[in-house]
Amino acid sequence: SSLRRLQADSRSRGDRKNTGNSRVVYCTVSHFFSFFFSLQGAGQDVGRSCILVSIGGKNIMLDCGMHMGYNDDRRFPDFSYITQNGRLTEFLDCVIISHFHLDHCGALPYMSEMVGYDGPIYMTHPTKAICPILLEDFRKITVDKKGETNFFTSQMIKDCMKKVIPLNLHQTVQVDDELEIKAYYAGHVLGAAMVHIKVGSESVVYTGDYNMTPDRHLGAAWIDKCRPDILISESTYATTIRDSKRCRERDFLKKVHETIERGGKVLIPVFALGRAQELCILLETFWERMNLKAPIYFSTGLTEKANHYYKLFITWTNQKIRKTFVQRNMFEFKHIKAFDRSYADNPGPMVVFATPGMLHAGQSLQIFKKWAGNEKNMVIMPGYCVQGTIGHKILNGQRKLEMEGRLSLTKKLCRNNNNKTCSHQGSESNHHLLDVKLQVEYMSFSAHADAKGIMQLIRMAEPRNMLLVHGEAAKMEFLKGKIEQEFNINCYMPANGETETVTTNPSVPVDISLNLLKREMALGGPLPDTKKPRTMHGTLIMKENSLRLVSPEQALKELGLNEHQLRFTCRVQLQDPHSDSDTLHRIYTHLKSVLKGYTIQHLPDSTVMVESIVIKLSSSAEDPNTKVLLLSWSYQVIDLSYSQC
Amino acid sequence: MDRECVALLPRVCEVLAESGKSLPDDTSLEKLLDWFTGLAKAGASLLEVCPCLLEFISTVIYNTDADPSVLSFTLKLTGLMAASEDGFKMLKECSILRQAYDIQHWQDAGLWEDPCIRIGWIQGLRSMLQHPMALHFLVETDFTRHLLQLQTDASLFVASAANQVLAHILVFFQPLSSDDVEKKEEKEMRTYACIKAPIAMDTDIEHLAVAMETSHEYIAVTTAISDHLKVSLVPKENAQFHQSLQSLKLLALLLAQAKPPLEDTLLRTVLGSLEALVKAEYSQLTLPLMDVLLTACSHCNTDEHVTDQTVSCLLSSMLDTSKPSDLIQAAAAVLRRGHRDIIHSAKAVGILLLPLDIITGQTLLSTHSEEQRFSVEELLKSKTSCISMLCVSLMNTPQITLMPPDFLPCPPVTVVTAVLSLLRICSGHAPSSSIGSSKTCRNIIGNGKVQRCGLEALTALSTSPGGKEKMSEVFTVLIQYLQNPDSDPTVIQKSYQALVKWMGVCTDISSMRDQLTQDLLEVVKKRMCDMHWEVRDSTVEFLGQLGGVCTSTKPDQVVCVSEALLGCSTVPLLIEALCDSESYVRASTISALAQTLAHSWQQGAAVTQEQTDIVIRLLDILSNDTEGFARRAVVQYFTAWFSSYSSNTLPLSSSSSSLLMKSVHSVLSQGSADLDWEVKLHTLQLAQLLLDKALPGLQGSRLDSDTHTTPPTPSLNNLPHPYAVGSDQAYTLHTHTGAQTHTDPAGEGGCRESMEMDLADAVHSLVEQGVVSALLSGLVDCDRPVGLKACRLLRTLRDTICLQDTPAALATATRVACELPGSGWGREIRKILEKKCDWSKCESEEDDSVCVGVYEALRSLGLDEKLAILTQSSDHVHNSPLSLLQDILSTSDTHTQPGTQPGQEVIVDCY
Repeated sequence: SSLRRLQADSRSRGDRKNTGNSRVVYCTVSHFFSFFFSLQGAGQDVGRSCILVSIGGKNIMLDCGMHMGYNDDRRFPDFSYITQNGRLTEFLDCVIISHFHLDHCGALPYMSEMVGYDGPIYMTHPTKAICPILLEDFRKITVDKKGETNFFTSQMIKDCMKKVIPLNLHQTVQVDDELEIKAYYAGHVLGAAMVHIKVGSESVVYTGDYNMTPDRHLGAAWIDKCRPDILISESTYATTIRDSKRCRERDFLKKVHETIERGGKVLIPVFALGRAQELCILLETFWERMNLKAPIYFSTGLTEKANHYYKLFITWTNQKIRKTFVQRNMFEFKHIKAFDRSYADNPGPMVVFATPGMLHAGQSLQIFKKWAGNEKNMVIMPGYCVQGTIGHKILNGQRKLEMEGRLSLTKKLCRNNNNKTCSHQGSESNHHLLDVKLQVEYMSFSAHADAKGIMQLIRMAEPRNMLLVHGEAAKMEFLKGKIEQEFNINCYMPANGETETVTTNPSVPVDISLNLLKREMALGGPLPDTKKPRTMHGTLIMKENSLRLVSPEQALKELGLNEHQLRFTCRVQLQDPHSDSDTLHRIYTHLKSVLKGYTIQHLPDSTVMVESIVIKLSSSAEDPNTKVLLLSWSYQVIDLSYSQC
Repeated sequence: MDRECVALLPRVCEVLAESGKSLPDDTSLEKLLDWFTGLAKAGASLLEVCPCLLEFISTVIYNTDADPSVLSFTLKLTGLMAASEDGFKMLKECSILRQAYDIQHWQDAGLWEDPCIRIGWIQGLRSMLQHPMALHFLVETDFTRHLLQLQTDASLFVASAANQVLAHILVFFQPLSSDDVEKKEEKEMRTYACIKAPIAMDTDIEHLAVAMETSHEYIAVTTAISDHLKVSLVPKENAQFHQSLQSLKLLALLLAQAKPPLEDTLLRTVLGSLEALVKAEYSQLTLPLMDVLLTACSHCNTDEHVTDQTVSCLLSSMLDTSKPSDLIQAAAAVLRRGHRDIIHSAKAVGILLLPLDIITGQTLLSTHSEEQRFSVEELLKSKTSCISMLCVSLMNTPQITLMPPDFLPCPPVTVVTAVLSLLRICSGHAPSSSIGSSKTCRNIIGNGKVQRCGLEALTALSTSPGGKEKMSEVFTVLIQYLQNPDSDPTVIQKSYQALVKWMGVCTDISSMRDQLTQDLLEVVKKRMCDMHWEVRDSTVEFLGQLGGVCTSTKPDQVVCVSEALLGCSTVPLLIEALCDSESYVRASTISALAQTLAHSWQQGAAVTQEQTDIVIRLLDILSNDTEGFARRAVVQYFTAWFSSYSSNTLPLSSSSSSLLMKSVHSVLSQGSADLDWEVKLHTLQLAQLLLDKALPGLQGSRLDSDTHTTPPTPSLNNLPHPYAVGSDQAYTLHTHTGAQTHTDPAGEGGCRESMEMDLADAVHSLVEQGVVSALLSGLVDCDRPVGLKACRLLRTLRDTICLQDTPAALATATRVACELPGSGWGREIRKILEKKCDWSKCESEEDDSVCVGVYEALRSLGLDEKLAILTQSSDHVHNSPLSLLQDILSTSDTHTQPGTQPGQEVIVDCY
């Protein structure tokens, strides 16, 4: 090929207003209905992560999460804000899911099977495998809560998953001719990915949830220095510098061990997959090391499946697990056995992992009820619980829990208007009070990047703009200040439902022909250097989505065009009593005096030529003093011609 | 309202009013508001029931340091309380109303920038605007102007809410015409239920209407809004598109609900702006503008009306716009909205068919403007617009073919031909001679999006008139798609769906046999080994669906398509798929097997070795498969088989019956002990069928009163899906009316003894089959749906025995005993029974199991109480208002009283 690719940097210099070729990226951020406003840290929102990005004319939905705190339509994003009449397929170019947590993928079957999105959905292989398990797990909870309407079925989950296109790490996937995406490792949970979205020269990176420090089974998040126009980052721990996860793990093991030692039972409510496996590894290793004999049970029957996936996706775990995989698979647990409901009544210590994770129904609740009365026992809540669940209540210190299940007259404690405790006979009720004597512990094991980690990622990716989501407003404000100060870039933190528009100055690549470069060099120009932009002249050809700068001759040849010369003419009248030849001579002399440096000729055919400008003179038939000057010039000397006129 | 809630509310208000105190989580305030809204809707006066709310509001609205979410909540609550006239007066007298909704106050405090305050303000106003006094307040305070400004708020939620309120004001207070009043009275005569709800004051609408007719306030608001619409509809510069868009949305909302006087006023005012907008041809506004015009058109009464004529002209202009991409969107909108006037519809059809006509070279349109054709051709050369236009075109083709012939430029069959041609082009199978425009064709070859749209269109076209003529071509194209190695999984799935649909309408499948059998079998075999589980699953699903597709040429001659085409090849293929590595595929295979074997079950054919092998494999899956989907499907397989057996009029061969009953026993014991809740639930459905079979005619009226209607027994051709939620209505006991059941006419005494024995035998057989054990095990299951189902069935069984009208019958039946194992569910049941002092048991010498009388156990289990509990939501206790109030208080206590509870802050991260 005679073409050599050079980057013609069209970035504006100086005043931004003068940028003729700047383009705009619309980045609509809408965590539908989730509220960032809070009181003392408890009002943060978990749920309905759903961001719409418009870039280079493409609309991409990033995550499609649900909120577990509602039983009605409010648990799902309201897609009518995007487009009405359910024409999501027409509007969206693709949906990308960052990881399998329900606040990032829980509304996906609703969107694809009930609202009617039929376009491509992207997620990593592990996320595709694990997502249905969690969606099924959650579906069970909703079936448990009667009166549920407008909820997806198992068939819908499967049909939705059939639409999913799996992503490999670091593999560029072409969604269409213009839109491409690339996944990067995000840590956080198995299969979690950050995604680089590119349309032409514009790009966005969306982090989903990520973790910049490796943990027991996962590695740290990593990304190329891809310099996106916008980096959309989660900011759950925007101002926190978290203690190392090791400390939390040590604390966890210590508490479990102490309880076991005193003959108590430990209940760990979990969701089917994710944190459960992480804690299983922790206990398994500890049991092995300490040679403990107390049984560990996993209640859901999903252990095998979960472990299967962890084994299958071993490449997604950390280096240590991958290295030792051949000798011993970390996910083949020796000490953890399947649970039978009758074991709950067995005497002696034991540890049980049971679903669901918020103690609102099912096996975990049943075991909790059995064990709650004994102060030797312990419940460890490894994750957040929404209001309206027993998990939420015990985490807030409630020790007398109203439980369903007994027809009796109960005495209820209440406070009257004067804030004094009183008692009254409650009406006949199906409820009874459960006295919670067991120890309640909360240990967050979720792996998010803290403030330090977020700054580290910015350093890695070098974005031109930053957008913070999935966090608490006040904390994000603090981090925003830090980012703007340290990196000197714009940082945005739009509220839910707000649209943020970020202006970018994209580089438009142009190919330049070798001939043109040679010609420039022959004229004494410097060698091409991408670091030293300079002006080049040529003909710009836009053909099949590419731009090329070639010599005019080559352009004519390539496009099959004939060359035509365009000449401009004008007629000027002047009054001069001299003869025609004298007048012409006088003009010639005058031009000679004012246009020094130009080639001026007085030709024998009574014309004067200035460069390519031709001047002819004739007299008017009626009045010999009136001379008519005929001027003709080509496009190349247009400036000179006008000045002469 | 619950007394306990009333008692707690003042403290909750204190907590909320104290800025800085923590709330349990972000949903609490919304849930609290839900509760108040519910109370108000039920007719309670919030001010009377919760007097502390007044103090709460007056404290919070002056406290600009309060948390914005609490302030927002307060604004909404204020509006809710002011929804009743009494509440409004009270709040006004206390000057709360003016203070709460004073925008300047919030702006000065720097809080107005917070979108949640603006949302609170708007939603509060929306709740309040239920009576003339509120309207007066709105006008007095000039809030309409603010609402119009908020229409273009940076927050989508605020902007949308503002539009909703503006529409509500005009529509709610609009004067009704006399016709409307009459219609409303008639309606109320039919469904009158006098609930005096302060916020849904439908009953007072007529009075309101009369009051409003002459109301200056209403006229002022109408004028302000319509004038604003008039000005804001046409964007003055590019930045104003958002404003125009919002105004168009508001106009569409208004026109959809406005009655004649208001509708006329609105249309008259904005008509000029709409004309300007149509002329300007802004692509971004095409769809919302079409929405407005079509809504206006749907209200047009007569063509003689000048406004109506103008609207119609505007619609015509939209369908003459010069930009083809806008044009096709506008045409699609006409069809989507079901607009039916011959001029516009025919025009829209022409526009929608043009891209198909150009690309496929099929003459779909006899006449069309050359200019338009040229511009569409040019646009089709660009890949993006080509795909987008074709998809819109394809989506509308099925509807086009169903339109009256006058609307169509060509016979429907030509449209089917064009879609087929397009599909051929997309897959690269079109002969070059038949391609319309080769340049544009390159854009769509191998494009999955167009392929999917085309296949969906083809599926829907199966019912189009004239479609049958193309049957053979359709099958050829679909088989080509299935054979194509480049077809992606979603394309394969859609091809199968289309195939099933077309086979369903094929009246003479035998004529297709030669064409299809070989190719179809080959491709199915190939796709069963596809590396993508999605493809394997779709293939298996297809085989299952094919098993349920029957066609008939004559009324008495029903042909199963699967048998006709694939003969006996299906079952071996499916048996092989039982070993698939993906559980979804295994589950679909089991379901497909049930659908395929349904015919032989129905015919009562003798069991074959192949069927015996299948049963062995399925029972093995039930006991060993690690995944729930496959196990659920196994139980449903046997349920379907048993259901077919019970409803079969033909005698079942003894081998088949014996194999079935033996299997059912295993399924019941394994299924009820499964770890998956849906396997257990499906097992109970099987138990229900067994109960039904064992106790025909003896069963009393059904007492599980929550089953409102008895659905028909499912036919094998519409089996519930293997993943369907276990519905109590899927398989129900055959209902027998009380009159039929309990009538023991004189003269039939001779039968009594045998009936007594029948009942005892039936109960005994239920024990033997494991039905009673399955039900008892389900009763104490921790998964609520399982417990509920088991409880209902046990109650039915108990009542059936109990309702025996002779002591002898009862005595015989009560002698039947069942065994309770010493561990697991047996121990749970024993615990319940042990609380009853009078229960008798017979202990086993071999293990620690005991035997109890079935009837005695059923009477002592407290089934009615249990049912009352189980029929409620599992979270009804902890999602109650009382629980919410307690949570708010306990969170606050946790934060204010150190030492009461864990020092560690609960981090709200993810789940």
